[in-house]
Amino acid sequence: MDITFKNVSYIYQRNTPFAHKAVDDLSFHIPSGSFVAIIGHTGSGKSTLIQHLNGLAIPSEGEVTIGDFYLTNDKKPKNMKELRSRVGVVFQYPEHQLFEETVEKDIAFGPENFGVSKDEINKRIKDLIPAVGLSEALLERSPFDLSGGQMRRVAIAGVLAVKPEVLVLDEPTAGLDPRGQKEMMEMFYTLHKEQGLTTILVTHSMEDAVKYADHVIILNQGTKYMEGKPEEVFIQKEALHKVQLDVPEMVQFLNLFENKFGKSIPFERQSIKEIAQSIQHIVKGAEKP
Amino acid sequence: MGKKLIEFRNVSFRYGDEQPWVLKNCSFDIYEKEWLAIIGHNGSGKSTIAKLMNGLLFPQEGEIIIDGQQVNEESIWSIRKDVGMVFQNPDNQFVGTTVQDDVAFGMENRGIPREEMITRISETLSAVGMQDYLLTEPHRLSGGQKQRVAIASVLAISPQVLILDEATAMLDPKGRTEIMQTVNNVQEKNELSLITITHDLQEVVQADRVIVMNDGEIWDEAIPRDIFSKKDDLREIGLDVPFVAILADELKANGISITKEPLNHEELLEDLWTLHLKT
Ligand SMILES: Nc1ncnc2c1ncn2[C@@H]1O[C@H](COP(=O)(O)OP(=O)(O)OP(=O)(O)O)[C@@H](O)[C@H]1O
Ligand SMILES: Nc1ncnc2c1ncn2[C@@H]1O[C@H](COP(=O)(O)OP(=O)(O)OP(=O)(O)O)[C@@H](O)[C@H]1O
Ligand SMILES: [Mg+2]
Ligand SMILES: [Mg+2]
Repeated sequence: MDITFKNVSYIYQRNTPFAHKAVDDLSFHIPSGSFVAIIGHTGSGKSTLIQHLNGLAIPSEGEVTIGDFYLTNDKKPKNMKELRSRVGVVFQYPEHQLFEETVEKDIAFGPENFGVSKDEINKRIKDLIPAVGLSEALLERSPFDLSGGQMRRVAIAGVLAVKPEVLVLDEPTAGLDPRGQKEMMEMFYTLHKEQGLTTILVTHSMEDAVKYADHVIILNQGTKYMEGKPEEVFIQKEALHKVQLDVPEMVQFLNLFENKFGKSIPFERQSIKEIAQSIQHIVKGAEKP
Repeated sequence: MGKKLIEFRNVSFRYGDEQPWVLKNCSFDIYEKEWLAIIGHNGSGKSTIAKLMNGLLFPQEGEIIIDGQQVNEESIWSIRKDVGMVFQNPDNQFVGTTVQDDVAFGMENRGIPREEMITRISETLSAVGMQDYLLTEPHRLSGGQKQRVAIASVLAISPQVLILDEATAMLDPKGRTEIMQTVNNVQEKNELSLITITHDLQEVVQADRVIVMNDGEIWDEAIPRDIFSKKDDLREIGLDVPFVAILADELKANGISITKEPLNHEELLEDLWTLHLKT
């Protein structure tokens, strides 16, 4: 589904002395099938932005369009439930998403609510448990009697069980162990490709943004600060520093390398392997001046 | 190494009689003034260890000794004054109705005079970049703002032992580095023991020592350089090594001889430069 924000503002505690504009006159367009990364400093409005995508937040000003759904301050979509079955949101803190008595019931809740048959739900759970790296032994446990990373995995399974067309992920790898981070991102990417999803990833991992996203939006104090291809955005060190962000670690290394060796290796989303080859050429003096 | 501050002696723990053991015969020591990182796959027992250290849980087997006292129901009130902890999910620890009250709460409990409290509230909140949110309700903060406030609250009480359980997981890399720098300064100034539980390999590199947990057991205990030299074994148990270590491996595969397992950019660049001058 295409997603468009047109001059969207969102004000928390509107009409009180505590009113706070968390999203400020924000406009962008995400074509169906894109993989977009949203990046920004603490409190820049990322989580507020994505809550608009399934109608959890309604814009205070401006309009949000998601496929055929249209959200403005005075016009909520009639069929909010359908919107929520088509747009799945994984929240920043899994505890905010879990509530059932058991892990199994928690994962089944979404599809049940949207009228998926019992057999189909069981089949989905069977497939999802290994896909998110959980063990079946946990299915009967309360989702609150789990470790942080295990809760995160259950929350992700619960959203995927609905088979949404738009997948919205708010720092989905926070709290996962290194292997889990890698496998989870690979799984999202495979789903994205195979099922033609539209994927929106809020992340602090520039590495993941470089690896998976075809478009990056940088937020600062609720407004759009930059957008573009990852390899264009992530080399702009000064501009990123201004909004308290940094370039990806690989770019940092390439910058230091250039300072030391006086030769630059341009960043073009290479793999570590490719970078190593370029470095080898320079270090061994094989590179033509 | 300094004096032993915390001892785990053959500690085993499970969350219920019918439940599996989640810590199995764990023994280790933590010293005064050191920075210890605990790493391990999801569910390996890290947060359980943290909760045993400040008496939120008690072991079924073995014993835990902090500063000479065994941790049990009687000693726990005095021990908790010395052990400050930031939980994995900060929502579980907010007690104040405003950010400022929240930071004040731990200090009130420790009888810190009012004047001093006011100074520390403003110092610690500025240190984590939250000075503009004094009167905000904690549940109205963003994910990363919550973590910043939780860290300020524990820094304000300046405990002898500071445990951070994935306390910076929601921050961007730059924010994370800045906050850890702040924590590290406080640790050195006040000579605290710092225990960080984390999946951030960059952070682990800076610790004095690392304990690696695997399925409820202590898998290894060593300095970061030694831990990260066991690349394949770490990957086997769901972990990994930092970016520079991966790059160093790829360079070796390209016939570049690396003399020392690098832990940061500078070390790797230095090695490459020396090699470059020789060729
Ligand atoms: N309240 C609880 N009741 C029952 N079992 C629990 C409870 N909390 C944790 N566990 C189990 O204990 C084991 C260790 O959990 P712990 O939270 O210590 O892991 P962790 O190493 O901190 O993992 P993570 O990296 O995911 O935070 C896990 O298998 C978990 O399922
Ligand atoms: N429920 C709320 N009530 C009032 N203000 C809020 C609420 N939730 C968030 N805010 C404020 O809105 C701003 C944007 O918050 P948001 O959660 O969208 O940030 P974020 O970019 O997701 O940050 P983080 O990276 O820390 O998760 C922040 O200044 C925050 O304090
Ligand atoms: Mg957020
Ligand atoms: Mg944990």
